[in-house]
Amino acid sequence: MRQTVRLFALLLRGYLRDRTALFFSLIVPLMLMVIFGYLNLGDFGRVTVAIDDQAKNQSSAQLVQILEGIPTLQVTELSTAEALTKLRRTELDMLIVIPKDFVIAPARPGQTVPELVVYGDDARPQQVAVGRQIVAQVIDRLSFAVTQTAPVVAVKDESVQGVRLRYVDFLVPGILGVNIMQLAIFSVAFALVADKQRGVLRRIMATPVRVPNLLAAHVLTRLVIATGQVAVLLLVALILFNVTIVGGLVPLVIVALLGTILFLTIGFALAGWATTENQVPAIAQLITLPQFFFSGVFFSKNAAPELIRPVTNLLPLTLLNDALREISVQGATLWDVRTQILGLLIWTVAGFILAVRLFRFEKF
Amino acid sequence: MPPIVQVNDLRKRYGDIEAVRGISFFVEPGEVFGLLGPNGAGKTTTVEILEGLRKADGGSANVAGVDVFSDPSGVKRRIGVQLQASAFPDNLTARETVRFFAACYDLEVDELALLRQVELEERAGQAQAKLSGGQRQRLSIATALVNQPQVLFLDEPTTGLDPQARRNLWDLIRGIQSRGTTVFLTTHYLDEAEILCDRVAIMDEGNIVALDPPRKLIDDLLNRGFTKPVLQQKANLEDVFLDLTGHEIRDA
Repeated sequence: MRQTVRLFALLLRGYLRDRTALFFSLIVPLMLMVIFGYLNLGDFGRVTVAIDDQAKNQSSAQLVQILEGIPTLQVTELSTAEALTKLRRTELDMLIVIPKDFVIAPARPGQTVPELVVYGDDARPQQVAVGRQIVAQVIDRLSFAVTQTAPVVAVKDESVQGVRLRYVDFLVPGILGVNIMQLAIFSVAFALVADKQRGVLRRIMATPVRVPNLLAAHVLTRLVIATGQVAVLLLVALILFNVTIVGGLVPLVIVALLGTILFLTIGFALAGWATTENQVPAIAQLITLPQFFFSGVFFSKNAAPELIRPVTNLLPLTLLNDALREISVQGATLWDVRTQILGLLIWTVAGFILAVRLFRFEKF
Repeated sequence: MPPIVQVNDLRKRYGDIEAVRGISFFVEPGEVFGLLGPNGAGKTTTVEILEGLRKADGGSANVAGVDVFSDPSGVKRRIGVQLQASAFPDNLTARETVRFFAACYDLEVDELALLRQVELEERAGQAQAKLSGGQRQRLSIATALVNQPQVLFLDEPTTGLDPQARRNLWDLIRGIQSRGTTVFLTTHYLDEAEILCDRVAIMDEGNIVALDPPRKLIDDLLNRGFTKPVLQQKANLEDVFLDLTGHEIRDA
């Protein structure tokens, strides 16, 4: 313990003196947040939807009315032909065709269920994804209402809450998540592989130092840096963007630290495997880049292609971002995000096993 | 007194290459022992086995009363090590570097006293990476002394140093010996071995081909009728160099 603390104090001191590392762990995340936050890059405004109501019955009118009541959607009624032309000119994001046989009623055995046809503009996948999601939810709730007599009003309420969310409120947890990942993986992998290549680890291994203590000191150093990073990012988010953090700061920081530990194990595994510094960026990018795009950092995780979504939804960063976002945006407690936390822990165990398997001091 | 380093039939192979082919020798307490040999002779492998950094394939080795194979960390606790081509943790000062290694041994030391011993006290607050080659070698020796080792292993300590810095390091090594520490060094420089070592072992292709005091090895060679093809000069170019540039160390 004493050894760990002493090593940690010195490693931290060295880390804080490394201006380049500090720059990357603080300035870059801030830049990302400011750029995306100010330019509102991910804010796509409303989704323009055309509805071709071919049924013209009570059920279809009810559906149209609900959709019109959702602020995110800008609904117009158009014929399919007109709407498709507009879609091709990207003047519309989506077209929903309500079939003639549309009813909101329990399906009888053997009867085919009416099918809504949804056309989306491929050039605006974000809007289409959001639109589809909303339509799917509305249909779900309608079906639910019919079969279980749950109130239809619940649909509206939830949608309104979703819309009040500003983009920057959505963005900040994502930025936290992605930076935790980057810091943990890159700082460990680069530093330790450099140490390995330069012979620092070899020199240290010529002493009777207890390896778990040394590793713990490295982990502690990164946890402190990560905590500082999270604090600075949150402070800027609160001051500059007036971000609302609905849930508690404590659960937020706890989840952030869990995420840090998880990505540290991956960093150690990478550092253990790599023998030269040149291998690190390539592999680290391979690990982080897909998560950068598909784990709901800047946009909804549903922006990932549907085909791979079952995989992307289980990525470590997706779980971390989900948990951070639910706490920050929806005021979730740690217990509410227990599924994500469990997922993070499973990844951590996997990463730890991998790190132990791959980490070799002796392999110079 | 029993030998402080005792090696019996030590063997190590890397794939098809037999790096060490069953060598045996011992080192007396308090002596400066030199392990010489061309590149690839097996010196570094031998030293790293004795330091507990590498596993041997056969034989036995005992350092400072500890069996190296069964208790490598016990050996590490009793020896000091300066490795070839190694480096220190980033962004620490000279003093913090010493403190780091003291922490590795879980010891509290007087860092400044150690730095004074290697004439680096006035550099205590300087970044370790900004030290000159000679200063870094001295710092390296300071870090090897934090645990007051019984044996100090130095692997090519003067490689890459200018003549002044080499001489300065020799004085330092003699000083360490005079305080009772056994010194085990490897070197390419035969003048260094001749001046510093009480006994030298010459290694070639994984075997020890000679082991005696330098003077005796030279006498034996002369007794075999060896004569140098060129008449011995009364001075050499290094003498000229030192005469012109002085013995004063330059990296301060």
